[in-house]
Amino acid sequence: MVKKIFGYSYLYLILLLSYIPILVLIVFSFTNATYIGEWNGFSFKLYADLFQSEEIIIALGNTVIIAIISALVSTLLGSLGAIGAFYSKKRNRAILESLNQIPVVNAEIVMALSLVVMFVAVGSYVFHEQIFSFWTLLFGHVVISAPFVYLNVKPRLQQMDPSLYEAALDLGCSPRKALNRVLIPQLMPGIMSGFVLAITLSLDDFIVTAFTRGPGLLSGENNIETLSTLVQAKIKKGPIPPELRALTTIIFLVVLIAVILITIYNNKHKKVNKKRRTY
Amino acid sequence: MENKNYIIELKNVSKIFEDETIAVDNFSFYVRKGEFVTFLGPSGCGKSTTLRMIAGFDFPSKGEILLNNKDISNLPPNKRPINMVFQRYALFPHLDVYDNIAFGLKLKRIPVPLKDENGNPILKLDKNKIKELKREISLTKKNKHLSSEEKETKLNELEEALKVAKENEVQAYKYKKLSVREIDEKVARALKIVDLEALEDRDISTLSGGQQQRVAIARAIVNEPEILLLDEPLGALDLKMRKDMQLELKEMHTKLGITFIYVTHDQEEALTMSDTIVVMKDGVIQQIGKPKDIYDEPKNAFVADFIGESNIYNATMIKEKKVRFLDYNFPCVDEFQVNEKVDVVVRPEDILIKNKGEGMINGVIQSKIFKGVNYQYIVLVGKNEVMVKTTKEYNEKEEVGLEIEPESIHIMKKDFTTNIYTDAWINKENEVMIDEKPFKCNILQLVEGGKFVDGEIVDKKNKKYDFNDADVVAEVALDKIEIIDDIESEDALIVGEIVDSVYKGDHYQYIIRTDSEEDFVCVSNYSYNLFDKVGINIKPEDIKLRLKKEVNNYEI
Repeated sequence: MVKKIFGYSYLYLILLLSYIPILVLIVFSFTNATYIGEWNGFSFKLYADLFQSEEIIIALGNTVIIAIISALVSTLLGSLGAIGAFYSKKRNRAILESLNQIPVVNAEIVMALSLVVMFVAVGSYVFHEQIFSFWTLLFGHVVISAPFVYLNVKPRLQQMDPSLYEAALDLGCSPRKALNRVLIPQLMPGIMSGFVLAITLSLDDFIVTAFTRGPGLLSGENNIETLSTLVQAKIKKGPIPPELRALTTIIFLVVLIAVILITIYNNKHKKVNKKRRTY
Repeated sequence: MENKNYIIELKNVSKIFEDETIAVDNFSFYVRKGEFVTFLGPSGCGKSTTLRMIAGFDFPSKGEILLNNKDISNLPPNKRPINMVFQRYALFPHLDVYDNIAFGLKLKRIPVPLKDENGNPILKLDKNKIKELKREISLTKKNKHLSSEEKETKLNELEEALKVAKENEVQAYKYKKLSVREIDEKVARALKIVDLEALEDRDISTLSGGQQQRVAIARAIVNEPEILLLDEPLGALDLKMRKDMQLELKEMHTKLGITFIYVTHDQEEALTMSDTIVVMKDGVIQQIGKPKDIYDEPKNAFVADFIGESNIYNATMIKEKKVRFLDYNFPCVDEFQVNEKVDVVVRPEDILIKNKGEGMINGVIQSKIFKGVNYQYIVLVGKNEVMVKTTKEYNEKEEVGLEIEPESIHIMKKDFTTNIYTDAWINKENEVMIDEKPFKCNILQLVEGGKFVDGEIVDKKNKKYDFNDADVVAEVALDKIEIIDDIESEDALIVGEIVDSVYKGDHYQYIIRTDSEEDFVCVSNYSYNLFDKVGINIKPEDIKLRLKKEVNNYEI
């Protein structure tokens, strides 16, 4: 009994600690005070301001574009890498697996710095000009998220009957068709969760973004500004822009709805009864 | 070209894996159209590798596989008219029963000859064939197991064929999919054959093991393959289900008229279902024959021991049609040279129990087990055990007489390639008892990836085993037995008498018989006289072991 009480109180304490700040944030997004903690009465002004602040909209746009593109690229690389490694010889697989672990456990700052050094070196020796741009930023994001996609796909492969691929070949698939029709559908849940993880990793990344970005995207001639770099730039000069409270509330709600939808989708055992023709 | 009714033929096929292990060694055999052939052997004997080469998942390192007299050795699996039922079914979990079965049909393309407006055939270069030949040329170049001459002849042949293909235009085809209706009809027919008509919309995960098995069979036969390969397909089913499926498969084989190639380690399954059995060991064919022939006339001690239960003894032909074993001269029907050392097999059900003194030999019943259909007795005759099966009941410790009819004694040429001891066992100290002498063998070889953890044997999946009292078959190569002159020395683990010596040109081959009538065959450069007493020494690491029962019987 006592054990149970402790268990539950621990659980609720953790939940409380992680959700109270968000609740506070949501509450304070409905008042137009500049400084957090003041309550100037209920208003939607921050939400109205949010959509008029060009700066924030551009940063949001950049963030979303980078997140989606980098997630797509890293999902492709991570999934194919996992499949390739799974069907390779034991030694090659072991090597690939440990190489894949390094970016996961490595400090992000090490990653970011090494990327900068590499880009500077490539820029000066190969292109003879600065190469920092959208592409370097994308490269950086792919490098951090692809190993996580790999780790999401790998367990699905291990659960799978290893002869599925051979069964597909046996029934007339070329190797590529076997990949498309059997392996990928089998690995879809792992690939999807890898994709979602890659999006979230890219969305809130600051260190690698700050180090590898260059001009481009919606920011035009200026350095690409994402939400994280924007917030960082703002708080250097003064208080956090109050519109961001509205923005984070919206982001939180979008994520919440997405999570709920995914859960419902996963739990509902959908079996569409295909209408078969009868002759 | 004379053997037109061979559907598949393997010519001197060998498979050598990258770590240089030889899985299949110079394998030659053929299957007639419509035959039910079973590859039988203990695990690791190369039967699955052979099947995989026929399916196209592995390519032979040497030799040729001919399908309808055409070389398909290096053809990928999707280009072969052969389908396989996998050991763990390998059904696609994301598809339902219908789509699983229709999978192959949806991929199938029917060639339709192309014609121009006037109805004349359109001729084009055969691009597929050119691609195939190029692939084969590069495969042949990379194959390091062929000798340079073999490689050169093969390459020349292929280059020639490539040149012909590149210069001559042949009838061009367009490829048509099967219509939805055709697919529907074929799936319905396949479902009917495997008795699963009502289940076409079910998800794979909701089916029982037996039903999944049927789906797997339907998925393969719906493509109307020329050969159906079955890789231990009944291994995961319970005993009752397995027996039912055996009969059903046999019936299906008769009805469909497709050639079946079946792989199993279960000798009873092989005997029940097959037209022809191929017994394999260490990648080498031991015997090919009809079930009855293999059971009644095993070619060597390994086959006799593997197929059915049997009493195997060392024997000597003492006169024409007289063989001596169990200290008695039995009349027999097989003709061998007088004084030749032979192996004798007697099936336990072929031995008759009589009253004491009324049989040819006398013995004491040591143990009695009720087996349902009959009793199984172990009768001690001198120092030898005789297994007898009969429906009549006798008591333990009872003294009885035994009689063996001449027709029941099967005599085999002695297999002098290795020494095989079929009644070795493992004692409490994990030592292997051969001829009642302990040998500290590496018994970890009995489990895959075995190692000792806290004194217990653990395999790579962390399952623990206890081999105390386990019956094993021990094998020692002829040249691994050392003859020790001084029978008093510690190295002389086993002492015996030289009963046979043959000069083989540059060395002698001896048979050393111990007091308990166990024979050891060994080779030596030195000459000994008949009836010399010598000791022998076997290094424990040279003893190869194999469990008599399945390894999971010893799991704890």
